[in-house]
Amino acid sequence: MKAFKKIAANDNVAVALEDLFAGDVINVGGISITIRRDIKFGHKFALEKIKIGAPIVKYGEVIGETTEIIEPGDHVHIHNLRSLRARSDK
Amino acid sequence: MSGKSEISGYMNADGKFGIRKHVAVVSLSVFSNVATQSISNLVDGTVPLIHPHGRAEIGMNKKNLETNLIGQILNPNVQSALVVGYEQKTTEKYLTTLSTLTKKRVESLVVLEGGSISAIAEGTRKAMELSIEASEVRRETIGFEDITLGIKCGSTDATSGIASNPAVGSAVDTVINLGGTAIFSETTELMGAEQVLTKRAVNDTVAKKIYEIVKQNEMFAKQQGVDLLGINPVPDNIEGGISTIEEKSLGAILKGGTSTIMDVLKYGEHPPAKGLYIMDSPSAAQEVLTALTSAGCQAIFFSTGLGNPSGTPLVPVIKVTGNMKTVKKMRDHIDVDVSDIISNNLSYNEAGKKVFDHLAAVINGGKTRAEVLKHREFSPIPVGL
Repeated sequence: MKAFKKIAANDNVAVALEDLFAGDVINVGGISITIRRDIKFGHKFALEKIKIGAPIVKYGEVIGETTEIIEPGDHVHIHNLRSLRARSDK
Repeated sequence: MSGKSEISGYMNADGKFGIRKHVAVVSLSVFSNVATQSISNLVDGTVPLIHPHGRAEIGMNKKNLETNLIGQILNPNVQSALVVGYEQKTTEKYLTTLSTLTKKRVESLVVLEGGSISAIAEGTRKAMELSIEASEVRRETIGFEDITLGIKCGSTDATSGIASNPAVGSAVDTVINLGGTAIFSETTELMGAEQVLTKRAVNDTVAKKIYEIVKQNEMFAKQQGVDLLGINPVPDNIEGGISTIEEKSLGAILKGGTSTIMDVLKYGEHPPAKGLYIMDSPSAAQEVLTALTSAGCQAIFFSTGLGNPSGTPLVPVIKVTGNMKTVKKMRDHIDVDVSDIISNNLSYNEAGKKVFDHLAAVINGGKTRAEVLKHREFSPIPVGL
């Protein structure tokens, strides 16, 4: 199986430890997740469905909020995840 | 375990141990750079400190410049120094300050008293004498209680937080357990991780200081009216898979290990006692490495995802990566490869031992890539976030 790392138990994303491709099936703790888009080594994918404006959790801590609805297996990066800190609009 | 490593260093006139015995040739002004570089080119055992400042700075810029120019000379890796001033008055002021802070031999000259060619001739003779004197200093056995270690990460990618930073953190824990001191820094990269760090603060006052420096930093960023995205994380971080400052910070703090945080130091400040410290500083490599040198670090761990060539004039910088692609692509700049964490399930403890053993070798005189390639970046006035 393709290598990935889920760092903390309550994380809702995992890190690809090799290049993943759309259609790859990943087994995370007994649950199958189909990768929806190509995900490069080191990038994150969602482990569950996540609502818009909801926290993304990595290292067991909040790393930002979603800007769109995220499906399991989606690439999670700057196109759908936004920092909560030092924002000029807040 | 690793604690058995025998280490050695060179005592200097301040009674501290350096792991190098440099003669620092320090330019006080942009107009002294030609003389400084030429003197150092001619004299073996010297290291030039070159920068574009030293004229008409005010306020924080002036203060930081003075902290760093003096701080470099106070660093334990320096045996003696030649100060290359531009004009008499400023040069004398530096010499007076230095005489109250160090017993090291400090020679000087002034470029405006005869021009660059005369300064090079005079400075070369003075530096030669200092170099011969330093060459006679012998190594003696020291302990990790004599070591202050700097910790930095740079050119971060997603491997930093899961490989090189935890490996470095494990080595830092070993150094602290052996009675040593360590400093990590980069205030912007504590943003989003305060809640984790403050739990490790030695008391509430230190916890409050951690929150306070990050708040100040965040306010400064907001005042500029820009999003941190693209500044920190920088574009290469984003390419490597880091999406937000919180994500970068939560990975970055792992390089500091798990020890109690004793206090928050000001920019370039020496730690007052042993143990782990945070220093308030910007996050650009050349600015942090300069400040860690001023704070008295004799060696610096530099954890990197994508690779980074940077070094300092006076302090060995040990590059550690957990990215197997970087090991190949940037091999000329990597000292310790811990990519087996990702490809072969190497544990953080085992990887940490590899990093620690390399530190011991560098302390004992083994050179880093940055030293051999003369990566001597020196940035005494920080301007970044």
